[in-house]
Amino acid sequence: MLKVKNLHASVGDKEILKGLNIEVKAGEVHAVMGPNGSGKSTLSAVLAGRDEYEVTAGEVDYLGKELLELNPEERSWEGVFLAFQYPVEIPGVSNINFLKTAINERRKYFEQDPIAAKDFLKMVKEKSALVELSDKLKNRSVNVGFSGGEKKRNEIFQMAMLEPKLSILDETDSGLDIDALRIVAHGVNTLKSKDNATIVITHYQRLLDYIIPDFVHVLYDGRIIKTGGKELALELEEKGYDWLTKEEA
Amino acid sequence: MVVMKENNLLSSLSQMGVGLGAKNQAFELLKGLEFPTRKTEDWRYTSVKKILKKKYVQFNEAEKVGLSNEIVPSLDAYNVVLVNGVYSKELSDLNFPDEIVLDTFPKALEEHVSLIHSTFNGIAKNNEEVFTALNTSYFHEGVFIHIPKKVKLEKSIHVIHVNTKCNVVSNVRLLIVADEFSEVGVVQSFASVNAMECLTNSVTEVFVKENAKVVIDKVQSEEPKNNLICTVQVNQKANSTFKINTATVSGDFVRNGVNIEVDGENCTSEMNGLYMQKGIQHVDNHTKIGHLKPNCTSFELYKGVLSDKSTGVFNGKVIVAVDAQKIEAYQQNKNILLSREATMNAKPELEIFADDVKCSHGTTTGQFDDEAIFYLQTRGISKESAKKLLIEAFADEVIDKVDSEELRIWIKEKLD
Repeated sequence: MLKVKNLHASVGDKEILKGLNIEVKAGEVHAVMGPNGSGKSTLSAVLAGRDEYEVTAGEVDYLGKELLELNPEERSWEGVFLAFQYPVEIPGVSNINFLKTAINERRKYFEQDPIAAKDFLKMVKEKSALVELSDKLKNRSVNVGFSGGEKKRNEIFQMAMLEPKLSILDETDSGLDIDALRIVAHGVNTLKSKDNATIVITHYQRLLDYIIPDFVHVLYDGRIIKTGGKELALELEEKGYDWLTKEEA
Repeated sequence: MVVMKENNLLSSLSQMGVGLGAKNQAFELLKGLEFPTRKTEDWRYTSVKKILKKKYVQFNEAEKVGLSNEIVPSLDAYNVVLVNGVYSKELSDLNFPDEIVLDTFPKALEEHVSLIHSTFNGIAKNNEEVFTALNTSYFHEGVFIHIPKKVKLEKSIHVIHVNTKCNVVSNVRLLIVADEFSEVGVVQSFASVNAMECLTNSVTEVFVKENAKVVIDKVQSEEPKNNLICTVQVNQKANSTFKINTATVSGDFVRNGVNIEVDGENCTSEMNGLYMQKGIQHVDNHTKIGHLKPNCTSFELYKGVLSDKSTGVFNGKVIVAVDAQKIEAYQQNKNILLSREATMNAKPELEIFADDVKCSHGTTTGQFDDEAIFYLQTRGISKESAKKLLIEAFADEVIDKVDSEELRIWIKEKLD
């Protein structure tokens, strides 16, 4: 589904990704772990299409398309979803209206009629139950006045509504208490199928107790320096990153 | 002594119609006034040069015109229509309730002479505002609204000003007297149909007596090439409520003055404004609220969206007199500039002479929140739609201050 080859990306003069390779197939869950400053958030930003990041080399093939050629909304229409580490507050734009607009813009892209009000409401009801999002929060302005946990649950709610093929969860566990973590993980696990894939970007192993990865990658200094199974995460939890980064140095 | 210099605007005008002593006094006063220049503090960012240079035509007969909802909001209200500054009986609604007075100048003078004499021009600032003096001197048509004691008018009165010819100049006058315990809503629309280079100079005086409530919605949707000066002068007595919402959706040159004297305790005053200029349009909102008595509250929220090379001015003055304790006055002005070439000049001014007050003001001018746009894009909302959503969200905060749903919808549609 996703093939990232020799990806180099910079912000300003600073090169952050320095030849990153990763391949994700449908049905898989990949965890990308790494210490602070290793390039984890840059990877998610580049995949989602944030324009402050300049890709200087490499390519990203997504379902046979050159992903980097698409603008952020086109990537979304093609099934890429980014759950933000810091979901943005948008005063005055209601959660529900914005999702309806989003769904209809994608339907327009695929030359489909706008979603019927009844179907939309049914979908909202079903998907919000998945992450236990209350009616009050659904109708509020996007993320305004939401607690940390509510914001993350709202991200997964949006993910459920948009039914992506490739989801990238950027530090979704940060700022979550254990109950919220469980709810978020339950949402992600329920949405998992043989046709979609998930990249979980995280600093800690904790989230991976709930979302079990098929592969664990260690990102360090802009490159993947080690790939293993889920046991690698446990090893990292126990030994930290030093033993790997020293090896690298 | 200063002697007013002759200009094309002045030579386009002639005195007609209304026989009132106030007119002659203002005319004499006007001779000693000057039109503002960039050196005039209240007009620093708004030049009237272009307006004075133009030649205009003054009308005295109403034209026929079809008014669709596209031009002015079709509201469930009592309509009074002035075409090119002249009252149109044909287009106006004559079936308003008997208990109120809804009449036009100069006719109103015949029947309500004593009430008009005791109110008309009573609070207009002829000596400070040259365009007010000009209006008082030259106005020949206008509307008089009197809501007697305890009368609460359910439907609004909609005063529609529409220009249908090019280069029309009109000095229109509105006098609203709301007696004790009365309630009225007045919508004032300024629009045009196939008209260019017009100048409408409107002055409204509003008397809000004890326990009365007056709400004014001003809707300015002139075609791009027209000019509009609107001055609203308000006097509030004890326990009264006054609210004015101003929506400027178009107009080459728009200057709004709102001046409220709160001359009684326990009053609430509210001023809100939304302006959305494009091209090389210019909008200037000058507001002044004078709290003369204690225990009153005032709210003010003005928001602007400026595109292309448009310019905006906001100047909000809050004055709290020495003995006016326990005043709460809140003022906010927020702007979004959609282009690098758009300009906004914002200036809040507080003059507080009392010591036990709660006053706040704030002004922000910025671009779009790029984070928010990116967030919306990642959800599959195109950049254009994301911007539209954000503008709507920004404007909604002010539009929601308008009580009438049909008017709110109309303004929202004009946002696109």
